[in-house]
Amino acid sequence: MVLRDQNLSSENAKNLRPLDDLIKRIAENQDQAAFVELFEKAGSKLKAYAMRCGALDGEAEDIVQECMLTVWRKAHQFNPKTASGTTWLYTIVRNKRIDMARKTKYDVVVSDDLWPEPEGEDLETDIERDLNGKIARTLLHGLPDEQRQIVYKVYFEGKSHSEIANALDLPLGTIKSRLRLAMKKLDTLAQEQMTWLIIILLTNF
Amino acid sequence: MANYHPSDELLMEFTAGQKQDALGIMVACHLESCLECRKRSQVFEQLGGEILGDSQETPLSEGLLGKLLSRLGESPAPAKETDVQGDARLPRPLRRFVPGYFDSLPWSGLSKNIKEFTLPLGDNRYVAKFYKIAAGKELPVHTHEGNEFTLVMSGQFSDDAGDYKQGDFILADSDIKHQPRAGMNEDCICFAVMDAPLKFTGFFGRMLNPFMR
Ligand SMILES: [Zn+2]
Repeated sequence: MVLRDQNLSSENAKNLRPLDDLIKRIAENQDQAAFVELFEKAGSKLKAYAMRCGALDGEAEDIVQECMLTVWRKAHQFNPKTASGTTWLYTIVRNKRIDMARKTKYDVVVSDDLWPEPEGEDLETDIERDLNGKIARTLLHGLPDEQRQIVYKVYFEGKSHSEIANALDLPLGTIKSRLRLAMKKLDTLAQEQMTWLIIILLTNF
Repeated sequence: MANYHPSDELLMEFTAGQKQDALGIMVACHLESCLECRKRSQVFEQLGGEILGDSQETPLSEGLLGKLLSRLGESPAPAKETDVQGDARLPRPLRRFVPGYFDSLPWSGLSKNIKEFTLPLGDNRYVAKFYKIAAGKELPVHTHEGNEFTLVMSGQFSDDAGDYKQGDFILADSDIKHQPRAGMNEDCICFAVMDAPLKFTGFFGRMLNPFMR
């Protein structure tokens, strides 16, 4: 799996801000040079993500194209106060992937149903956004590999517990207990964040 | 604010884009009214961003950037499925699937006090319905084959395990035998998503069962 390089994601963390600036340049000036730079920074990662979620090579490139076009058209909707550029890109590729994976007439649900475009103001603040990022990174690096591996499987493969058990050749009980441990940790972190939210709301209003 | 929420695990699967089905719609409806879960979901989204950033790079075909640049002038995508209006009193994720509001739905009667409306969200995994339980009345005792997720849309109900009000998100698994009773003052309308048809126990249950399919 991907978990080889522990330092990779702190490197990536440092590279988050430039993505934000590129997206802003696209939003404000329809800046094609910024678009090309963003494509060069993110395109191959978007493709890697789509393929790990099960898309074939050609399908993954279609997803990359649709994502990048969405970035071009909706860059003005990017709000750096609510999320980093990378997280915004993540939500776009997630949505494109599920919309393009719909195959049968029973697949009636589209990403716009699940994540309608926001109607009102977001409550987020810069502090909160940075905190979110910090929490996510702490979490990802705080989890032991064996728990993180299962979390990744959820993100990429949407497999059931028993399918994961088969894939990793481990008893079902082990998968369940590892996921439970990972979730407990996530929950602690999410609660910490809630505490911050309350503090922020109290000081802002 | 709701007292009962989706589990971390379900919320994470939802946020990771692994629930594009009736259950996903239910989670989305809960999120619309639950700030706490929206916050939790944002943590998971950020996690997705980190994971995307961590992805190894997969080489792209040579012509891809050129193709993309030539498409920048294309007019935005045509009208979407979700451009349907629907009733503004319903949560947005459900609106386009419901013809009107609760008072004008073509309810079908399981009995005088219990009505149902099947939502056009069904797939091979889940059945999705609204139930309307008349004020003060109860569903027959039943167990579940598989899981049943319930979101209270309006009114209240209670069972042995607790009292539930609008916005509450409840999971009953196959071990639970319960008998939901609507609050005394108003009808209770619930959105239910289940793995398999309900199985009623007891005589009344057996009578009802054929209609539940
Ligand atoms: Zn909630």
